[in-house]
Amino acid sequence: MGTLLEVKDLRTEFHTQDGVVHAVNGVTFAVDEGETLGLVGESGCGKSVSVLSVMRLIPQPPGKIAGGQVLFQGRDLLTVDDEEIRSVRGNKIAMVFQDPMTSLNPVLTIDTQIGESLELHLGMTKEQARKRSVELLKMVGIPEAEGRIEDYPHQFSGGMRQRVMIAMALSCTPQLLIADEPTTALDVTILAQIIDIVKRLKRELGMAIIWITHDLGVIAGLADRINVMYAGFIIETAPVKEIFGNPLHPYTLGLLGSIPRLDETRKEKLTPIEGLPPDLVTMPTGCPFYDRCRFRTEKCLHENPPLEVSAVRHSVACWNWQDVVKARGRA
Amino acid sequence: MATFLARRLVWLPVVLFFVSILTFFLGLYGPGNPINIMVGLKANPETIERIKAEYGFDQPVYQQYFNYVFKAVQGDFGYGLVKYRDQPVGRIIAERLPVTIQLNIAALVVGVIVGIPLGLLAGLTRNSWFDYSVRFLSLIAVSIPLLFLLPFLTFIFSRRHDLVLNAANLQFAIGPFLPMVGGHWDGILSTKVLLPILIESLGIVAVLTRQMRAGIIETLGQDYVRTARAKGLRERMVLLRHAMRNALIPIATILTLSIGGLVEGSFLVENWFGIPGVGQLALDAFTAREYYIIMGITLIIAVAYVVANMAADLLYPILDPRIRSSK
Repeated sequence: MGTLLEVKDLRTEFHTQDGVVHAVNGVTFAVDEGETLGLVGESGCGKSVSVLSVMRLIPQPPGKIAGGQVLFQGRDLLTVDDEEIRSVRGNKIAMVFQDPMTSLNPVLTIDTQIGESLELHLGMTKEQARKRSVELLKMVGIPEAEGRIEDYPHQFSGGMRQRVMIAMALSCTPQLLIADEPTTALDVTILAQIIDIVKRLKRELGMAIIWITHDLGVIAGLADRINVMYAGFIIETAPVKEIFGNPLHPYTLGLLGSIPRLDETRKEKLTPIEGLPPDLVTMPTGCPFYDRCRFRTEKCLHENPPLEVSAVRHSVACWNWQDVVKARGRA
Repeated sequence: MATFLARRLVWLPVVLFFVSILTFFLGLYGPGNPINIMVGLKANPETIERIKAEYGFDQPVYQQYFNYVFKAVQGDFGYGLVKYRDQPVGRIIAERLPVTIQLNIAALVVGVIVGIPLGLLAGLTRNSWFDYSVRFLSLIAVSIPLLFLLPFLTFIFSRRHDLVLNAANLQFAIGPFLPMVGGHWDGILSTKVLLPILIESLGIVAVLTRQMRAGIIETLGQDYVRTARAKGLRERMVLLRHAMRNALIPIATILTLSIGGLVEGSFLVENWFGIPGVGQLALDAFTAREYYIIMGITLIIAVAYVVANMAADLLYPILDPRIRSSK
C-alpha cells in the first residue's frame, strides 16, 4: 500500500495579543492508503490544528502555517492555489467535526447540506444529489431516510446529527476521512454506534482515516497506528498494540496509567499526570514534558529530544526511554 | 397559525384600553387645558363654564372617558379644539399620516441600502482601516443629537459656502445645495425631502451597519461555516448560503419591529423642516392640549406597534426553522 498523505515538519502558529502561540511545532507523520491513524493527546496539544492545517482550514489571521509540507498524493497542499485545495476538500479529504450540534447549518435542510458537495464535486443535478443523499443516510443507519431528507438539523438527535455529518463527509467517497473527536460530544452508547458505523464504512469503502481523540479507549479497537501528541510535538508513534503493550514515552505511560481498567485487579488509585502542559507562547528549549516527568535528567532541561526510532515501526521522543522500560519492568 | 394570530389579536383591545386610559387621564390631569388656549386666560369665567359644558368637559372624568370610548368604537375619534377647530380627528390624522409613512419608509430604504452592505464589508474586512472608519462613523451617527445635526446640516447644504484663499488665489465651493421643504409638501419624490430623509435614516443606517457587521463576524466564526469550507465550497457560496442567511435573521427582526415606528413622526425633523406630518401635528396638539388629537395619535402608534410585533412573530418561523417546528 502506498503512502496517501505525508506531513513533513508542519508548523502552525497563532498570532495573538499575548504573543505567538506555537500550536504545532514541526510535526511529521504519514498515512498509508486504507490505514487508520489515531492522533491522541490532551486538549490544546495541537491535534486539531494539525489536521485543520492539512485542509488549510486554519483561520488566517490569527493563524498561520509557518512551515512544512503536506504531500497528498504527491502534491503539496500548502502551496497549491485556492481552486485546487477546494477541489480536494470534501472530495478527496473529508472531515467530521467534534460537535454535531453546531457543525450543521441550522437554517438549511439536510438535503441541501449533503447535496451541495455532490453537486460541486461530482457535478450531479439536484435530483441525482437528492437520491444519493437518501442512499448515504441509509448507509449511516438513519431510519426512514426518504422522509427525513427535508428535515432540519435540530429535528435530529445528537447521534443522528453525527451520522448526518459522516454521511456528508463520505458523500464523495474520499480517500481520507479526518474525524476530529467525532464522539466527544456524544453519549457512550451512541459513541459505540458511531465507531461501529465508521468501522463498517471503512471496510466497505476502503478509505484511510485520521481519528483524533483524547480517549485512548476509543482508539484502541479502531486504529492501526497511534501518534501521541504533546505541546505541538509528536512524542511517540507506534502500531496500536505497541502503544498499549510497550509504551516508551513517560507521557504515554502516564496516559495509560490514568485509564481505569476492568481486566486487572483493582489498584488503590488511578495515577493522574501531575502538572500542566507548558505555555505554548513561551516554549521551553528543552523537553516540553520536563516539568511533569518522573524520568527527567539534566539533559532534558536543555535539549528537546527528537523523534527517534526505538524499535521496528516505533519511534519516541525521549532521552530516557530505556529508563521507562526498566521502570515498567519493575512495576 | 390562525389560532396564533387570533390569540394575538385578542390582546389588541387590552393594549388599547391601557394605552387610552393612561393617555386620557394624563391629558386631563396634566397642567393647562384647551379651553384656556381657546378663549385666553383672561376670559370671563362664565364663558369658560359655558364652553366647558358645550364640549362636555364639565362631566366627571370617567364619564368623559366612556363617552370617548363609546364614540371611538363607532369610528368617531372626536374633533380638533383649537388650531384644527371642529375638524374630525380621523381626517386630521389621515391627512398627515401618508406624509410621515412615506418619509419613514424612504429613510428605512436608505438605511437598508446603505447599512447592510456597509456592515457586511466592515465585517469581512475586520480590523482594517475601512472597518475602523465604518465603526467610528456609525458610532457618531447614533450619538450626535438631532438638535445639533438639524441646524448644522441645514447650514451646510442650504447655501453656497465659498472659501477664498486670497494668497493662493484659490476659491473652493462646498456644495451641493439641497432645497428645503419650507412648510410646503411636494410629495416624497421632491428633492426637497432629501435632507430630512438623510437625517432620519442616519440612525437606521448606524444600527443596521453595526448589527450586520456583528452578525457576519459571528456567523463566519460558527462551526457550520467551517463545515461548509471543509466541503470545498467557494468562499462566495460559504458567505451567501451559509453565513448571510443566519446573519440576516436579526436584521429582519429589527426591520419588522420598525414597522411600528412608521406612523410615528419625528417631532424634531418634521418641525424643523416644516413637513406636515404626524410629528408636526403631535407637537401642535401637545402645545394646545388637543386631547382628542393626542389620543388619536397615541392609539394609532399603539396599534402599529402591536401589528409590528405580530408581524415579527410571524416572520421568525419563516426565517428560522428551529422556531417553526417547536410551535
